[in-house]
Amino acid sequence: MAGAGARELSPDWRRVGALFDEALELDAAGRERLLARAAETDPGLAVEVRELLRAHDTSAGFLEHPAWAVAPELLAESADAALTGTRVGPYDIREEVGRGGMGVVYAARDERLGRTVALKVLPRAVSRDAHARERLAREARAAAALSHPSIATVYALEEIDGEMYLASELVRGVTLRSTLAGGRLSGSRVLEILLQLAEALDTAHRHGIVHRDLKPDNVIVTADGRVKIVDFGIARTLTPPEGVHPLTRTGMAIGTPGYMAPEQLRGDAVDARADVFAFGVIAYELATGEHPFGGSDAASLVERLVAERPPMSQALQPPALDAIVRRCLRGDREGRYTSGAELLDALRGVTDGAPGTGSRPLFVRSAWWWKFHQVAVAAITITNTVTIGFRKAPLGVSGKWVFLVILVLATITTTLRLHMWFVSQVHPASLLALRGRVLRWVVICEGLLILAFLGTGIALAFAGPHDALAAQFIVTALFMLLSLLVIEPATTRASLS
Amino acid sequence: MSEPWADRPDLEALMPAVYAELRRLAAHYLRGERPGQTLQPTALVHEAYLKLQKDRPERWQNRAHFCAIAAHAMRQILIERARARDALKRGGGAPRVTFDEGLPAQAGERSFDMVALDAALERLAALDAGQARIVELRFFGGLSIEETAEAMGISPATVKRHWALARAWLARELES
Repeated sequence: MAGAGARELSPDWRRVGALFDEALELDAAGRERLLARAAETDPGLAVEVRELLRAHDTSAGFLEHPAWAVAPELLAESADAALTGTRVGPYDIREEVGRGGMGVVYAARDERLGRTVALKVLPRAVSRDAHARERLAREARAAAALSHPSIATVYALEEIDGEMYLASELVRGVTLRSTLAGGRLSGSRVLEILLQLAEALDTAHRHGIVHRDLKPDNVIVTADGRVKIVDFGIARTLTPPEGVHPLTRTGMAIGTPGYMAPEQLRGDAVDARADVFAFGVIAYELATGEHPFGGSDAASLVERLVAERPPMSQALQPPALDAIVRRCLRGDREGRYTSGAELLDALRGVTDGAPGTGSRPLFVRSAWWWKFHQVAVAAITITNTVTIGFRKAPLGVSGKWVFLVILVLATITTTLRLHMWFVSQVHPASLLALRGRVLRWVVICEGLLILAFLGTGIALAFAGPHDALAAQFIVTALFMLLSLLVIEPATTRASLS
Repeated sequence: MSEPWADRPDLEALMPAVYAELRRLAAHYLRGERPGQTLQPTALVHEAYLKLQKDRPERWQNRAHFCAIAAHAMRQILIERARARDALKRGGGAPRVTFDEGLPAQAGERSFDMVALDAALERLAALDAGQARIVELRFFGGLSIEETAEAMGISPATVKRHWALARAWLARELES
C-alpha cells in the first residue's frame, strides 16, 4: 500500500487540491497544458495530480453508494447481534446462540415463567404472510404436544410488535453437523445417536408429526451426549420462499448434499417416510463420514435419488446397519420403513445383536414372481381338491376320508399362502416376519398334500379306467414337490433379498 | 478517526444511543427483506434520527448534527464487523453459518476491502480532516452533497470539490 509513503512524498495538500480542481474543469488537452505548466515549477505536484486525475477518471461509481448498500452482508451480521441485551415482550435477550436459514436464535429469559428459552426471530416472509402464519401456528401447536428427551420442546409462538418469535427449549451443545466435521465416530456411538434419533422420530410419528427437514444442522448434541432434534414439524414452513425449487436452496445447492427424499424434491406430499430417508442419509454420514451422494451436482443427485437403488458407495458395519440404511435410502418410499416405529424396531435388532427385522433380507425387487407363485400354488391346490371332491367314487369308502383330509390340509395351506400374498400387497414391511412364522405350517400341510395326491393318483391308476385323472394327481403332486423344494426358495431369494 | 464531536466533547455521550439505534434499525430492515430493495440511501440514518429525536429532543441540535454522529456510528459498526469477519477468515476457524437466503453484493459494484478503506480514510484524515469527514458522511452516513454541506456548515460546491479529490485519492490508495 502506498499509505505512509503517500503522506510523506505528497506535496502540500492544498496545492494538490487546487491544481486537481482546476484540472477537473478542463478537457484532456487543457489538462495536459495545465500539468505541463505546473511540472515546470513543481514536477512532484504535477505527477501527483496526474495520478489523482487518472484515479478519478477510472473510479466512476466508487463510494457513490452508501457503505451498507455496497456491503450489506456486514450490516446483516451486525443486525443479527442487534437484539442482544434488549427486551422483546416478556423476553430478556441474553446472547446469540446460533443462526441458520430461519434466522437468529437467542438465549432469552422468559420473565413470566422465570425460565431460559431459545428465542428464534422468524423471517419477515413468515410474519407477513397470513397463510404461512396460520400454518405455523397450527404446526407449532402440534409440535408443542411432543414430549421426548430427544426432541427440543416447543413452548410458544409469539407475536410481539408485528414480529414473530418462536420460543422453545434451549438446548446447549453443538450441532451434529459440527460433530460430523470433527471426524468419524465410533460404531457404538453412531448406534447410540441413531437410536435416540429413531426414538424421537417414533414419538413424533405416533403423534402424526413429520419433521420434514431433518438434517445434521437440526440435531444438537448436548454436553452429556444426548441428541436433540430441533424445529420438529415447523422447519419446512419456516424456510422461505415458496415457489423456489428446493434444489436451488442452499443445503441442496450444487456441491452441498441434501437430505430431502425424492418425493419431497418433486414437491409431492410427504409423510413419515421422508424423515426415514433423511435419517438414512444422516446414518450413512455418521457411519462413514461421507454423504451418500457426496460430490454430486444437482442434476445427477436427483437422478440418483429418483433411481430405486440407494446411492451408497460404501458398505456399513455391521451388515445389519447397512441393510437398515439401505432401506431408509430407497428412492421409492414404498420400500422404506413406514415410520419411526419400524425403524426403531429394526435398529434395536442391531443393538441387541439379535437377528431383528433389520438384519433380515429385505423385501425388494421383482416381488411379482414371488406373488405369482403364491397365488398359483393356492389355485392348483384348490383345483385338485375340488376335483377329488367330485371324482372320489373310484376310491370306494375310503374316498370320503381321503377327501376330508385333503380338504382340511388344502384349506390351511391355501389360506396361509393367500394371507402372505395379501400382506405383501398391503404391508410388505412385515412380510418377512409373517413368512418366518407360517412357512413351517405351509411345508407340513403341503408335504402331506403331496403324499395324499400321490397316493390318490396311484390308487386311481390301479382302480380302473381313470388314467387321465390318475395322471393329473400324480403330476400335481410332483409339481407341488418341485414347488416346495425349488420354486419357493428361488422366488423368495429373488424377491425378498 | 476524526471524531465528529471533537469540537463538542459533551456529544460523545450521544454515541452509544445512536449506535444502538442504528443497529436496531439495521436488524429491523434486514430481517425480512433484501437490503438492496429496501434500504434507501439515507433511510437508516433518517429513521434513527426520527426515533431518537422523539425520545430526547433536547439532545440534538439539528438533523445535520445527528447525521454526523450517525455516520460515524455506522462506520464503526461496519468496520467492526468487517474486521471480525476478516479475523475469522484468517483464523481459519469454524466455517461461519450464515443466512441461507444469502445477501449477494449488488451487481456492478466495485468490491473492495472495507478495512483497507477505513485505514486509507485515517491517512486522508491526517492530510485533510475535513475531506475525511465528507467521505464519512457521504459513504457511511449515506448523506447527499447538500446534506453533507448542511452538516458541515460549508457550501455544497465546496463539498463537491473536496469529495471529488478525496474519492480520487482513496481510489488510488486502494488500488495497490
